[in-house]
Amino acid sequence: MADLLMFHGRECPHCKKMMPLVEKLEQESGVRIDKREVWHDEKNADLMRSYRSALAPKCGGQLRVPTFFNPDTQDAICGEVEFEKLKEWALKR
Amino acid sequence: MKKRYWRCFVCNDIHYGVAPPELCPTCKVLNAYVEISADEARGILGGGPGITLTPGEFRAAIERFAAGQEFEVNPDREKVGMLIEGVFANEANHGLKYCPCRLCAKDWEEDLKIVCPCNFTIHETYKGVRDGECWCGLFVRRK
Ligand code: SF4
Repeated sequence: MADLLMFHGRECPHCKKMMPLVEKLEQESGVRIDKREVWHDEKNADLMRSYRSALAPKCGGQLRVPTFFNPDTQDAICGEVEFEKLKEWALKR
Repeated sequence: MKKRYWRCFVCNDIHYGVAPPELCPTCKVLNAYVEISADEARGILGGGPGITLTPGEFRAAIERFAAGQEFEVNPDREKVGMLIEGVFANEANHGLKYCPCRLCAKDWEEDLKIVCPCNFTIHETYKGVRDGECWCGLFVRRK
């Protein structure tokens, strides 16, 4: 089972808010979420851009953070979401 | 419709748009704009005074921009401080004040849509939403 990805920005308040929830989810469920900062790391930015066609339709037609992405299913959710919603999404594969 | 460059023949205001303003906002002369090349526009703007904006001045500018509108700068100062830091980091590293909560697609026209402040009034997080805010939460609907 491949890791899930989280794209985030260092100065993005929604991302900051999601971080502890992501860590809680990892501890509770054993799911691993690979966290990629996109404004201070060009490699991560390019990785996010490479998934644009899968991410943008789920996110107002743009690349936005935070975005959670499952490379296997190409499924994504974006924005600040409740813990239960994130968990349901992460476990649904 | 393609945007082009225009210059006021009286006071040298520069306008970038599909059509020039009928009334020059600076000298108030009617029908004063003539079309010019991008190089000429850049030449005029490039030779102008080097006006910089500190983060504090940017903050004051967005406060003035929001005054009297249906939205305001988020009263959460810490959040606003973090976002302005991001906007300035992006300008230093990537050339323009890009939104800290989105990412450039490396498409000039598309990326102009995420220069802060962007037109967030069309965002799903704002449009028709009671406690709406811009995608990042820098601007919130006034209560
Ligand atoms: S979403 Fe908010 S912070 Fe981001 S560019 Fe638009 S106005 Fe600025």
